[in-house]
Amino acid sequence: MKEKKKDDGEMAEELEKNSYRFWIWSIASMIFRFCIILFPENINLSSRPELSTPLTSLCRLAEGYWLKQASMSPYSGSMYHGSPLLLSLLGPLTVHGIEGQWNHHLCSLVFVVSDILSAVLLRATGQQLEKAYRLNLRRLGLLKASRDRGILPCGDIAALVYLWNPFTILSCVGLSTSPIENLAVIVSLYGAVTRRVPLAAFGLIMATHLSLYPATLVIPLIFLLGYGLDAPPRKLFLQTRDREGEPGQDKLTRTTQLPFLWKTVLHFVFWVLVWSIYVLVLCSLSLKQYGGLEEMFKRTYGFILNIEDLSPNIGVFWYFFAEAFDFSRNYFLIVFQIYMFLSILLPLARRLKHRPCFIAFVYLAFSSILKSYPSVGDAALYLSLWALFVNELTDMKHSFFIFCGYIGFSLLSPVMHNLWIWRGTGNANFYYANAMGYACFQFMFVEESVSAMLNHDQALKKATAEMTKN
Amino acid sequence: MAADNRYEEEEEVRTDDGSPITKPRPIVRLGIFLVAHSPVFSVVFSAAGVLALLLLPLLAKNTYISENALMPGSARSMLSNRDASDGSKLVKDIKNFRLNHEGQGVEVQRLIGKYMSEMVAEVYYQKFQPEGNQFHPLHFFSGPASYTLLGNVSCASYGVNVVGIIRAPRGDGKESIVLVTPYDFINGGDYEDLSLGIVSSLFSLLSRVTWLSKDIIWLVADSRYGDYRPVAAWLAEYHTPSFKVSDLLKCDELNTADNFRRAGTVAAALILKVDGRSERFEDILSIYADASNGQMPNLDLINVVNYLAVHRQGFHVKVEKVVSLLSSSWLKIVGEIFEAVGKVANTLNPDWKFGIPAAEYIEGSATLASSLYSQALGIPTGPHGAFRDYQVDAITLKISPGFPPDSKARQHDFFLRGSQLLEGTIRSVNNLLEKFHQSFFLYVLTSPSKFISVGVYMIAFALLVASLPMVAASLYVDGCKALTKSTHNSAENFKSWKWLDAAKQVFALHLLGFIVTLLPYFICQVPGQHSPRNRSIMWGTTSSLLLVTFVTIPGCSPFSSRLHGTNWAILKSVTISAAFIGLCLMSIINFATAEIGALLLVPTCLLAQPIKPALRSRRVKSLLGAFCSMVLVTIGFPVIFFAITKGLVGEGLVGLSLGGEFWTWLESLWAWKSATYLYIGMVHLPCWLLCVCILFHPS
Repeated sequence: MKEKKKDDGEMAEELEKNSYRFWIWSIASMIFRFCIILFPENINLSSRPELSTPLTSLCRLAEGYWLKQASMSPYSGSMYHGSPLLLSLLGPLTVHGIEGQWNHHLCSLVFVVSDILSAVLLRATGQQLEKAYRLNLRRLGLLKASRDRGILPCGDIAALVYLWNPFTILSCVGLSTSPIENLAVIVSLYGAVTRRVPLAAFGLIMATHLSLYPATLVIPLIFLLGYGLDAPPRKLFLQTRDREGEPGQDKLTRTTQLPFLWKTVLHFVFWVLVWSIYVLVLCSLSLKQYGGLEEMFKRTYGFILNIEDLSPNIGVFWYFFAEAFDFSRNYFLIVFQIYMFLSILLPLARRLKHRPCFIAFVYLAFSSILKSYPSVGDAALYLSLWALFVNELTDMKHSFFIFCGYIGFSLLSPVMHNLWIWRGTGNANFYYANAMGYACFQFMFVEESVSAMLNHDQALKKATAEMTKN
Repeated sequence: MAADNRYEEEEEVRTDDGSPITKPRPIVRLGIFLVAHSPVFSVVFSAAGVLALLLLPLLAKNTYISENALMPGSARSMLSNRDASDGSKLVKDIKNFRLNHEGQGVEVQRLIGKYMSEMVAEVYYQKFQPEGNQFHPLHFFSGPASYTLLGNVSCASYGVNVVGIIRAPRGDGKESIVLVTPYDFINGGDYEDLSLGIVSSLFSLLSRVTWLSKDIIWLVADSRYGDYRPVAAWLAEYHTPSFKVSDLLKCDELNTADNFRRAGTVAAALILKVDGRSERFEDILSIYADASNGQMPNLDLINVVNYLAVHRQGFHVKVEKVVSLLSSSWLKIVGEIFEAVGKVANTLNPDWKFGIPAAEYIEGSATLASSLYSQALGIPTGPHGAFRDYQVDAITLKISPGFPPDSKARQHDFFLRGSQLLEGTIRSVNNLLEKFHQSFFLYVLTSPSKFISVGVYMIAFALLVASLPMVAASLYVDGCKALTKSTHNSAENFKSWKWLDAAKQVFALHLLGFIVTLLPYFICQVPGQHSPRNRSIMWGTTSSLLLVTFVTIPGCSPFSSRLHGTNWAILKSVTISAAFIGLCLMSIINFATAEIGALLLVPTCLLAQPIKPALRSRRVKSLLGAFCSMVLVTIGFPVIFFAITKGLVGEGLVGLSLGGEFWTWLESLWAWKSATYLYIGMVHLPCWLLCVCILFHPS
């Protein structure tokens, strides 16, 4: 007992030290962002196709706001395709400027704050997950000592990965609204992990409203609320219980499925309905004179699903739809958009249902690959979510190779763009080849992560089986 | 090729996990085989890379006109003696004017302008300022639109361009062809006058013809401040009109406000220069095409000019070559070997025709070396470079007449031929409906009528760098095994993340390289006049101070030996991967830089090994290896390499004068926005430093 107390004391000390270091690094990242924001003269980041897509560009938002101020529909002229709420929120910040040039510093401040908020929420999520990981290992009997040096503080790591990822930093200072979209996603995950149902519903609705694709998160969120946090497969616990010699326990528990908390899930659905009605009402109020909700759906979700803007980006669709014949366009649109749902979402949800947070990571990664208008901000989000599972994914294969691929292709992208747009010696194929290579590496990354996770579960199974034998 | 290499690397990582692979695919087995025997294969591949580079002159293809619409030489020339005598008249007038009026003012410009307007051209004058030396290393990634105008304008020094535009009778004013004659209005020589004569003969013809469908712009660029700057200034104003009234306009009595005229998209541009007499009796036409960062104009433009010059006008056409290589004996031996091999191959099968005579081979290699050199520097070889920034294909034609400038009889004939050449080229370009796109943009020339396309020269580069991922993979496997052996418990947790520590060091040194690259910007801001030597001393001291700070910071220090830290194999593997990525990126930006960089960096990276164990073992083989890597690392340092190249050229430089020279050279690189500067600072220097770290690794 005494020893345990001592351990706890040491642990608390270590935790304090860790959190101290965490705050130093996060403040440093904030200062770094401000430094870049204050010297933007030569780096015109906001015009990079890798950073700002038609959906996330702040310049387009400013244009939409200007149109609205001039009593026109913000969606007229196919400039703005974002949410009307974001328009009312960020729009006023874009007009305060000096000498006719709009001042981006206020908006950048909002983005920096949202980045910091995301990091803090990620950290809290990670701490919950780490606690659950320890608990599960102990329940399986694989973790003898109450503290183990081998377990990494995944919350801190994920938060720092988010803050110091070059992708996050670039999309933060590059005036794209993706930090806010990412914040919404992280809020929903945080809410679900800490079982704050209204918050989770709010995050989900906001994320869906802003960029549509996070709607897929509804599956992992329901699993999270219904089954609880990420854990090894249920079967293992039953085995362990057998080993601990509780034959008196009736056979019922062995055969029971996971207890699914219907009540919480219904609660969640209720709140989802409430928030969605709330958001829709707000939107319709804001767009009353300009065509109402119908116009909004057409210009935002319609724009996303129809892939109307074929300007180059780091995704894989623009080139394809620029080349596709008109009569087959609808067919391919349906095939591509449904591909994600049928072939990725459902099988993965079945296979990984005991790890809902990991499912969320996989879904976000897939949507970042197969999105109509992806940017590096999306990659930043799923990379930091991935870091939440460092403990489980220590044996990931090809990690160095994938890392080199990411670096190579992200550096190659501006070069290819330059070759095509400015020098004229390359063509669209160059840039698209780069986009395909990047997508390939993202696929490889997701595939390796998933297989590493499954291997981890296998390894746990093996370990418990050995223990049972002994 | 790069993808294949990555494959190999990937497969290797797979084997390191020790998981049994059930019947791998053939490509996987091939990858594993290559990685397992990486020392042999790396030597083979590197040697093959160098051999392929030597073979390039043999593999050069003859040029051909790719775009059918060009039809060079199909129309009869309409140029008459009357036009040529118009040109002679202008030259005579300018000469007389020069004799009577010594010195300043814009009178010569006015005289040319008067001539132009007599030929029913629209004439205007443009003032510009010589640009100061600015440091914008990242300019490469942005377009030309981000040009910043200089704030303070002084009337003391500025130039005046004269521009005349002939509107095409069949055109809609949306396209144009530009003719440029750089001309020093104050002290232009007799030969420079001849270029004005040629173009004015042509201009007098073009003002009458009915077939013109693109407007013709004749820019007489004021070359007092170099050939490049006036053309760049004119192009900047042509493409990005500024709505602010420049103070420059008020400087002189010559009012240039509000009369800048345009003539639509520029389809092509020809820069004509006439200088010094040629050594031969015939007239020599030299073609210059390299723009900044190794960009070339479309090959069709060179083809058209070359075809017309050789087959119609009888010029002796040449491109630049490294003269010292022509007499080098080793090249001669290589050429003779290739010739003999070609002959043998020809006897075996008469269809194999790859042998070329040794003399031709030497000629081709000298031209190739010169092309590679100028592309690698990334500095344009003439005013045509300014056009490339706006995606306009342009070349400089430099004609060296074979007669003294006062020979009237030959001058008339010279004008006729020169302007017929230009007329034919313009007629061809005039036929085009689209931009030049049919032929190659990525090529190097080995003679005016022979070229090596990107598909061929990339092979040499790919072979050279192919050994990098192989060696990286095999080192990675070795390093992982060594780590697992040395640390039993803690490494267990991070099976596949052992490279993180090494990656941190590599990243730290690349960051250092980035800072060192940006340092000259701050050094240039230091108040006061400093000689290049002092500046380079400042740069050197700050960089080494930074390096010392980096080394002393725990965690980033590459020299620290921690028990569970990195072992050198993994560090070397990550270094090689970084070098591979950097070289591949650079090969896309500028092939020539990457090729020369790879020749230096690949052996250095491959041979780098800790010298401590080698010294301890005292075996001849390892001592020799250590010695080789020491020598390579010494040569690999940019300053020393610069000194060696200078020494080979014949200018001995030692000590501080070397620093000054080096600084001036780098200054010229960044003044021309050359990506080579970025390469040296951000790829070569960090990799070199990492090799030094590996050499002195306390293993």
